[in-house]
Parts: sequence; structure tokens; C-alpha cells
Amino acid sequence: MIYLDNSATTRPFESVIEEMNRCMRESYYNVSAAYAPAMLAEKEITRVRNRFLRSVGLTGGRAVMTGGGSESDNLAIMGFAETLHAPGTFLVSPMEHPAVLETLNRVQRLGHTIRFLPVGPDGRVNVQEALNLVDQETVMILCMHVNNETGAIQPLRELFRGAKAINSRVVTLSDGVQGYLRVPMNMQDTGTDMYAVSAHKIHGPKGVGALAVRSELRLVPQVTGGGQEAGLRSGTLNSPGIRGFGKAIEECEEGNVPERLMGLKARLVKCLSGQEGIFFNGPDPLCAEKSAPHILSVRFEGVRGEVMRNALEAGNILVSTGSACGSHKQKVSSALRAMGLSTEQADGTIRVSIGLMNTPEEMEQAAESMIEQAKLLRQFRRR
Amino acid sequence: MRDVLLVRYGEVFLKGTNRPYFMKKLLDHVKEAVAPVQGKAWLGEGRIYVAEFTDMEECIRRVTKVFGIHSVSPAVEVEKEDFTLICRKAAEMMSGLTGTFKVLARRSDKHYPLASPEITKQAGGYILTHTKGLTVDVHHPEHEMMIEIREKAYLSVLRYPGQGGMPMGTNGRACLLLSGGIDSPVAGYMIAKRGVEICCVHYHSFPYTSERAREKVLELARELSDYCGPIRVYVVPFTEIQMEIHAKCPDNNTTLIMRRYMMRIAEAIAKQEGATALVTGESIGQVASQTMDALVCTDQVVSMPVFRPLIGMDKSEIIERAEKIGTFATSSLPYEDCCTIFTPKHPTTHPIPRQIEESESVLDREALIKRAISGTECVRINPGESQI
Repeated sequence: MIYLDNSATTRPFESVIEEMNRCMRESYYNVSAAYAPAMLAEKEITRVRNRFLRSVGLTGGRAVMTGGGSESDNLAIMGFAETLHAPGTFLVSPMEHPAVLETLNRVQRLGHTIRFLPVGPDGRVNVQEALNLVDQETVMILCMHVNNETGAIQPLRELFRGAKAINSRVVTLSDGVQGYLRVPMNMQDTGTDMYAVSAHKIHGPKGVGALAVRSELRLVPQVTGGGQEAGLRSGTLNSPGIRGFGKAIEECEEGNVPERLMGLKARLVKCLSGQEGIFFNGPDPLCAEKSAPHILSVRFEGVRGEVMRNALEAGNILVSTGSACGSHKQKVSSALRAMGLSTEQADGTIRVSIGLMNTPEEMEQAAESMIEQAKLLRQFRRR
Repeated sequence: MRDVLLVRYGEVFLKGTNRPYFMKKLLDHVKEAVAPVQGKAWLGEGRIYVAEFTDMEECIRRVTKVFGIHSVSPAVEVEKEDFTLICRKAAEMMSGLTGTFKVLARRSDKHYPLASPEITKQAGGYILTHTKGLTVDVHHPEHEMMIEIREKAYLSVLRYPGQGGMPMGTNGRACLLLSGGIDSPVAGYMIAKRGVEICCVHYHSFPYTSERAREKVLELARELSDYCGPIRVYVVPFTEIQMEIHAKCPDNNTTLIMRRYMMRIAEAIAKQEGATALVTGESIGQVASQTMDALVCTDQVVSMPVFRPLIGMDKSEIIERAEKIGTFATSSLPYEDCCTIFTPKHPTTHPIPRQIEESESVLDREALIKRAISGTECVRINPGESQI
């Protein structure tokens, strides 16, 4: 089996599984309890928190542990919107994950205005035009770090810093679920006030996420109860999950991730380049500044993405069409359409997403299968 | 005193000398339906009774899905000797209701000292004086208290409609072409409702249709099996045939030729299954392959009768029915089925049979059908928990 759907989820590192196992066996205490073993368990969690904050370049900020990327986005958006006393404008890229867009629908119902940022043909927000939308009414600007379908790295620094130069009160949020630890992130440098991540995309466990928040920012909690996480997210801490997350961060930081992934992607790109009727969507896939090292959006002329995915699956290669969370709905991808692709082009696209457990040989095998299947399937297209 | 269900049956009533056969089938199906909630069912005078169930709501839900059942009423069984007790219980059951009511009485036990009009009068009077917020309206009441005097007295207020139809398995066997769309499950339901056992044939075109499309069809069969019991689904590999048609036959005829192959394979499977008819979800004029001429052309390749229970229904009526029987949500899942993947831009709507025959004569029909049937997988579907 060649697993190339690492943007949907990744296989956890062995060390993560061991760490969680150990935690459940030996350090199962409620970290809020008063006795010494619980305090020791809490210290471990604090270590993960600090490690996470360092990994996103935020000193003196808060790390709120959550149940995943979607919850982190919800807390950041609703938590902020509920602090506002007057209607404001939220600027958002149209390519965001439903965790952001659906939550903004709720924000709109509170009386705020939502406006979409313009996107260029390479799948990146057009900063110049975007900044024209920023005014004194703007309260928040939201843009993902890396697009989940095309791998396009968004120009966060230009966008966020530019926006703050126009209106210093603007709060910035980046959904880092697809970018975190695969593309470097420095919240201070980019002017990012909140950054939402998920553990299972970096070979950690499912059901764990985090939100990094600049310390002076106030949020209204979305889960109330015992007051854990400084009152921002009640509920007994998922200590095995958080420690597994910590282990995953550690392994990724030591593992030279961006270079390794880019090496694998380059191999795949090389094999597919120049093949008849095979194209890449988004920015130049080998440009490390613009294209995330683990995502490749491949378009096949005359073959439907869904059919290609099924055919590859028959050869034990797993890829996806669009994003896994959206593919049950089978609507034409909003990100690809936002870039200006036709329905047919968007429909002919698959997403290959690479993980740290893939090998260069797998890239070659996968490319070979894609080329072979494209030739075969193209003969039987709709006329 | 205990809770029972009074189960009324529909058309079986009309049967003559073979009525015991139908009744036995119906009772068996009710017994099977209530077994998971430990219910005991037996045949009484003009009713089926169910008692001893562990969960009344679930028991009602199950019984109302049995074909041949007209309606079900949850009732209280009371000793009939003490009429005051009957009145007291009736008033207790009516308390909390407001608006208008009437009492209906039926005395099957002709030795019972009170005649029906007397029961109605006395019980009605008792309810009126012992409850608040109720008045009598004998013509258009909002609530009906039914008092039946049989082996014992049975009191009921609510009535849940059943599916109607005939007991499953009393009218032979048919083979349903199940696509995954909205129509075919409804067609299967309608034929099964008349007591016909069904098996299903599904055409799978991997990789053009996904594993999820196959799962979806199995789930639809599972939803049907809630009504008609275990179902066998034959999943036929159809890719080769579709590709051959696509490669060798004229574009505008491909859909029709494909339909003809589907019918031929379904008939072969039906014969293996001992089924004597085919069932499809077609409705006149809905799509190009369902015009009158196209249907005639499709039917020419089989000798079995093809039943199309939706033939005169509009799409909106079919959807309404699908929602009612509970298959609409699954049918609406977006996975493409094999009927639509190679749809030509301009399909023939008025085919001439001779031309279609000529178009498909380039295909090695026997070999294609033989290979498809030999690759067919039979999946047994049982009622119960959803698989997706």
C-alpha cells in the first residue's frame, strides 16, 4: 500500500504511540489534581505547550490545547467575535477549510460582515488587491497558512503586516493545519495573532489540536466548565494525546521535515513532468517559498479525478480528490474554482499528499501508475 | 392488566378459502419482526395481538413495517367482567388530552351483558365526568377511545398506520435492478409490498464508480430489507461491457445498448434465483432511455415480464415516496452510478429497434455476458444496523 493522502491524516510515529501508551499506563492522573504525580504529569504537558509555542515562533503567548484543528478554528473565530461590541468586517480567503467558513456563517448571523479576499491564478491570495479591502471597519483577517488542495503557501507576512499597517486593531488568524511544521512559521515575524494546528497531520494522534494565541488577545471560551486552559477550554486535559502531540513535534523538528518532503515531491514532479495531458495546479510545485513540500495537485486532461483515484486504489495507491473532509460532498472544489480553473479542470484533479513515511521508490511507482492509468482511462472519457 | 398491541390486517381479509395460508405467512412475519424486542404474537379474533415486548415504541415501529398490516394500536388489556374498571381505565387513558372525543365500542363476545351502544354511552359518560378539557363530538372527534370486548377487553386511543399490501412471500419472486438512485428502491418497495420477494442486481463499474457507490447500494438494500426481510444483492462487474459499448457502438445509442445488456444479465440472474419477473424504477419520459420507444426497445431483449411500478409517477411523487420509506437520504449521497458515467451528449430518444440491433451486433454478446455473470458477487443483506 502506498499511502499518499497525508493531508487527510498521517500514520502516527511509533514513538508517538509509545509515548501515549506510557502516559496511559503510568501517568494517567488528572493533571488538575493536587497530588505530586498529577503535578508531574502537568509538567509534561507544560513542556509540550512550550515546545509548541517555540515551534511557531511565539514568545510570551498562550497555547490552548483543544480537540483538533476544527475546534481551534472555532475557538479563535467565535471566541474573538463574541468579544466585539459593534458590528465589524471579517476578511477571509475563499479557499478556507469549512471549519473556518462555516464558523464565519455563524459570525455573520451575529451581525458582522464577511468579505472574501481575491485569489490569483496560482492559488495564493493577491495581497495588493486584498489590502484595498482593509479599512477601519475591519476587525479580523483570516487566511490559511497552506491551502489543503493545492499546497499554495499563502503570503501571510505581506497580508497580515500590510493589514495591520492600515488598521492596527485588526486581529489576524491563520489556520495552520496543513502548514504547521512542514512550512516554517514565525507568528511574531508574520504578524499572526492566532495560529490553529492539528496533531494528526504531523504523525501525531487524532483528537488533539492547539491554538497559539498572542498573550494580550482576549477570547470568550466556547467550552465552559471546570475552567481548564486558563478558562479558555474546559474539560479534563487529554494528557496522552497532548504528550503524543509533543512527541510528534519533537520528531518533526529533529527530522529536517521540509527538505525531506520536498525531496520526495521533487521526485514525483520529475516523473510526471512533460507527460502528455498531465498538469500541476497552483504555484510552481518546486518553489519552496510558494508551494508546500508535501502537497501536489495534479490535473489529468480527459480523466475525471474520481475515476483516477479509484483506478489508483485498485493498484493499492491511495490519493484523494479535493480534500478528504469535503470529498464526501463531491462538490467542485472551491479552492480550484477560486484560482480560475474550469469545472472540467477542477473535476480532473487529484491531490497527492506526501508524508514522512513515504519513500522515493513509492514516488516513482505512484507516478508510473498515474501515467499508465491516464493513458488507459483517457480512451473512455465522456464524449 | 397489561400492555398489548392490536394489529389490524388489510387485504388478507378479502381472501377466500386460501386465507389461512396468507394469515400464517403474515403472523410469521409479525413474529419475526417483534422477536428482537422479545414480543410474543398470536392470532385472535380478527386481529393479531402482540404482548410481552420490552420496548413498545420499537415494537410498534417494527410491526408497522410488516407488509399486510393495516394499522397498529397500543392498547391496554383489562378483565372484561368489571365494567367500572374498564370505564376507570378509559378515563385514565384519556386524561391529559383536550378537545373533542367519542367512544367506539365493538362487542365480539355476544354473551357480554352490555351491548355496544350501551358500552359507548356509559363509558363516554364516565370519561366526560372524570376528565377535564374534553367534550363529545360523535361526527368529527379529535380522539377516539376504542373499547373492544373480545376474550378480554381492549382499550386503545392511538392508531399507527401500517404499510398495507400483502404478506411477504405470498406472491412469488422478482428481480429488482437497483442502481443507487432515488427511483429503484421505491420500485422495489412497491413490488415487495404486494407480497413479492425480491432479489437485487447492481451493476458496478470500477474504477468509474467507486467502492462507496457499491456500499451505498448495499445500504439501500439494507433499508429495503427492514420491510422485506433478508435480500440477496448480485453485484455485476460491468466495466468491460460499458467500455466495449463505448469503444465500438455509435455514441447516441450507447445508453440504450447498455440498458439492454443490463436487462439480459438481470434476466439470467433472475432465472438462477427462481424469479419470474424483472422490476425497474423507470417512469415514462424521465430520461432519454425511458421514453416509450426506448422502453419498448429495452424490453425486446428479455422474455420475462418487466414490472415498472413508478411508470406513471412524477419525480416529485417518487421523491415523496422515497422520503416516506426512508431511502431518500441514502439515495441522495453523491456517488455516481454506472448509468451516468458515459452518457452521450445526444442520446437517441426514439430508437428504431432494428438500428439498435445493428449497432450492437459488433459486440460479442455471449462472451461479454458470460464473463460478467461469472464475476458476479452475491452479497446477503440482513435487516438491522446501518453499514455506512
